[in-house]
Amino acid sequence: MPKLNRSEWYDLTRDMNWTFRYVEEEQVFPEALSNGRGIPAEEWWRWDEPYKISYREYVHNQSEKDESAYSINAAIGRSNHFENLDAGWKSGIVAHYGAIAIPEYLASIGESRMGRFGRAAAWRNMATYGTLDEMRHGQIQTYFPHTLLDKEARMDWAHKAFHTNEWGAIAARSLFDDMFTANDAVSMALQLTFTFETGFTNLQFLGMAADAMKVGDVDFGALISSIQTDEARHAQQGEPTLRILLANGQKEEAQRLIDHMFWRAWHLFALLTGLSMDYYTPLEHRSHSFKEFMNEFIVKQFMEQFRDFGMDLPWYWEQFLEEMDWYHHALHLGVWFWRPTVWWNPDAGMSVEERDWLEEKYPGWNDTFGKWWDVITENVRSGNVDRTLPETFPMVCNMCHIPVCTPAGHVTGHFASPAPLLVDYEGRRYTFCSEPCKWVFESDPKRFAGHKSLIDRFLGGEVQPPTVEGALRYMGLSPAECGTDADDYAWAFPGGAAGEIRRAV
Amino acid sequence: MSITPRARRATKTWSKSGQVRRKPSPYEITGSQFHYHFRREPAPFELSPDTPINEWYLKHREGSPLQIEDWETFRDPDKLNYRSYVSLQHQRETVMDGIVDEYERRDHDATLGADWAATLTVAFAPARFAIHALQMAALYLGQVGPSAFITNAAHFQAGDEMRRIQWLAYRCKSLSLAGTPELVSSTLARNTWENDERWQPARKLLEELLIAYDWGEAFAALNLTVKPVLDIVLNEELALVAEANGDGLLASMQREHAHDSERSQRWSKALVATAVAGADGNRDHLQKWVDQWSSAAYDAADGLRSLLADAPVAPQPALLGRSDIVGRHEAFLASCELGR
Ligand SMILES: [Fe+2]
Ligand SMILES: [Fe+2]
Ligand SMILES: [Zn+2]
Repeated sequence: MPKLNRSEWYDLTRDMNWTFRYVEEEQVFPEALSNGRGIPAEEWWRWDEPYKISYREYVHNQSEKDESAYSINAAIGRSNHFENLDAGWKSGIVAHYGAIAIPEYLASIGESRMGRFGRAAAWRNMATYGTLDEMRHGQIQTYFPHTLLDKEARMDWAHKAFHTNEWGAIAARSLFDDMFTANDAVSMALQLTFTFETGFTNLQFLGMAADAMKVGDVDFGALISSIQTDEARHAQQGEPTLRILLANGQKEEAQRLIDHMFWRAWHLFALLTGLSMDYYTPLEHRSHSFKEFMNEFIVKQFMEQFRDFGMDLPWYWEQFLEEMDWYHHALHLGVWFWRPTVWWNPDAGMSVEERDWLEEKYPGWNDTFGKWWDVITENVRSGNVDRTLPETFPMVCNMCHIPVCTPAGHVTGHFASPAPLLVDYEGRRYTFCSEPCKWVFESDPKRFAGHKSLIDRFLGGEVQPPTVEGALRYMGLSPAECGTDADDYAWAFPGGAAGEIRRAV
Repeated sequence: MSITPRARRATKTWSKSGQVRRKPSPYEITGSQFHYHFRREPAPFELSPDTPINEWYLKHREGSPLQIEDWETFRDPDKLNYRSYVSLQHQRETVMDGIVDEYERRDHDATLGADWAATLTVAFAPARFAIHALQMAALYLGQVGPSAFITNAAHFQAGDEMRRIQWLAYRCKSLSLAGTPELVSSTLARNTWENDERWQPARKLLEELLIAYDWGEAFAALNLTVKPVLDIVLNEELALVAEANGDGLLASMQREHAHDSERSQRWSKALVATAVAGADGNRDHLQKWVDQWSSAAYDAADGLRSLLADAPVAPQPALLGRSDIVGRHEAFLASCELGR
């Protein structure tokens, strides 16, 4: 071991800021890639990360971590572990890989944007590790599903999803491009690292890892917990960046950036994590409800984080807390109904015991969502499955690109009207699912206005033929790939086909 | 119960990677067709097509003169993905640890003179600014590369530059403890980098490199010109001078870094081959950029060599002259089938 500790020499690698003489600072840090908000260079040079690592420590640790994760994967690959997993759980994994694997790789490009266009050498170094970390996450989360291709053809979507215009892929791409792939370095530090990586990734990676261990999916559990150990390092780029913005009179701008991305991240993770945790994970293995995880990893964490920095809670905080009671239940109902439009097989999760659990975790569920599921259940039992399948498409939100669920918000008593929110901007009409989605659009309309949602494309004639079949093809879903009920409707027939169906009273 | 009935034909790899005859390698699986956003319609990213960053990529990546039909055909000859990169560098860092341990056990630094440390204060400590610029330029190249195989190789190169900077810092610190505190003065290092005339050609070159935003030019300038030329001095020439002045430790460190530089040249050479084979005009585009950047790179190398020339003991054989550097660079270009 070399005799000097990292702390004895590391600062030399942070003191690498200088004043440009032969080119202009604005040329080196153009606004599109590094929006410095007019803060002088010397101020940025104060950027100070709390946690440091050397390259030699990095490669020594990371090679060991990779060897262990890959060897678990190799050992499990030789068993029939995957075949024996619960069908609903597998759906959650298939959804996870499609929505997360390639975005992790895209985050590597986001990190290299901060590594080049971050405004202090210390920051650029931390982002260089981040670049490598996120490449790891993108590659390991494609390599693992690739080993399962011969057991589960849908694993192809770990790689394919982002090549398609499937609606969930559009929603995920829209979020992640806004957050990092197409973001400038300064905004990204707040929106990717401060807002997203310190909270929402914990939800998906620690929360799902906890469930995976209970389900017995060691492969997935070991994978995502190994990934999460990298996050603490590069996620810390947000705090020092926020400190500099605050010290230079940019609190309002910082608040706007955080409020914007917190809401967008919430909507996508309600879709991804909410459904997996509360419906797809087998009941006996659910460690907490989605809402409980949200309270632990998001609500508490952010309230502390906001307080520590003297930031305000997002202006929509009350609406956010209320949505935790109903929004993902509405999404689940919609995703199950429009199941041919997703790349995984939605698990209804409607056994008697599961419904009891939902009522216990979300009091009032039986009287609202439960009643709609009663109708579906009756149709399934009486052999009218076709009535549980879509013939048209819902409106999608021009911000989160998730189908608009305002009617469910209205029926559950949270919205005064079931109608979506509309905005007319430069001769075009935009539809939003919620006030915060509308607000994000209106606070920077040029960034979003030129984009067409799936429904805009459908109505504009870009999807041909304009039928359900045409739209499925446009979304990249072959008939064999369209989602179907994960349990082959067994949940509708408790105790076998003759069993009684529980009715919500 | 399996979710979907198995496809009739067993799937060997990703459907988007096309037909393959045998099961692909981990390198292929974790890189092939990851840049779905390249040449995507109507814009690379899922925002307004005319949002500034979409326009940036359309101009500097899709709009670069350096194009071929399918950049997915490029392969890094070392076939590195994250796992094999960290494994390789874990081994190289174990070698480096061993080198440092051996010299430290012998209390090597006590044998070195103050005048050698004075040379390093001017010629070596400020080099971290230059190498950091190389790191930044590699990260830019990575984020605008048109395929993941290109992006990843560039990102590993950025990691290698950070490695080189950190050992520079280590060496400056350890030698400073033997009685030369100036070696770790950041004020002095920055002042030298910003004001010493001998550093200015390198500083000018690297500042301008940072704003070479066309992806093809960024590649040709960094990987075919600036880096191979400067690395001759920063690794090899510095190693020779260090050896002549009794600093075997620094010499061994720089020779260890030369492995990383050679890897950069291997993939650069392969990328030139892919580009030149892929479209008629590419050889000319690359050559034009190399020509545009070469003389400034040689000027920068001259400046660095004049700093090394002040060392107490001159190496035998003598430091390379400008024409030798030009010759070395031209030999590299010839190996890439470029150059006159
Ligand atoms: Fe990640
Ligand atoms: Fe991350
Ligand atoms: Zn929305």
